[in-house]
Amino acid sequence: MKCTIALGLLLAAALAAAPVAPQAEKSQVAKMTLKVGDTAPDFTLLSDQWKTVKLSDYRGKKNVFLAVYVLAFTGG
Amino acid sequence: MDSPAANAAFSKQIGLTFPLLSDMNHKMLKTYGILKGYNVQDDTYEWALRANIIVDKQGIIQFVEEGDDAVNPNTALTMCTTLHKKDGAK
Repeated sequence: MKCTIALGLLLAAALAAAPVAPQAEKSQVAKMTLKVGDTAPDFTLLSDQWKTVKLSDYRGKKNVFLAVYVLAFTGG
Repeated sequence: MDSPAANAAFSKQIGLTFPLLSDMNHKMLKTYGILKGYNVQDDTYEWALRANIIVDKQGIIQFVEEGDDAVNPNTALTMCTTLHKKDGAK
């Protein structure tokens, strides 16, 4: 794959925390605050190898694909 | 949201070749506006949206999709290829 994916971000959430009740109602309109053209806010997170990963470390080196993928194990 | 240990187990299970990151304190999710609050009866639960975000080498966001649109990564992958070709053309 000729893609410049440098980094995948997966935040699989715990099923136990899911708002499964049918009466759940959204309190906020689901909309990201960032848009195309904005500078991506820097962050530092721990990887699955317990290594610190900082977004700005990729600056000038690689494009980064961030995939926030909750409930990844559901297959949906 | 999951711990590095949980992510490591999941990564090994499905054979991923890229890092999985943990945002245990929700700091990144809040900064990016991905964490949302949902009211269920008298309590509010925080829950992250699905999102695909592509950041170029200059640190500028080049692509965003969220919610149901972000379930299928193909559009984002096409954007990756486009960026890659642009980089190669320079």
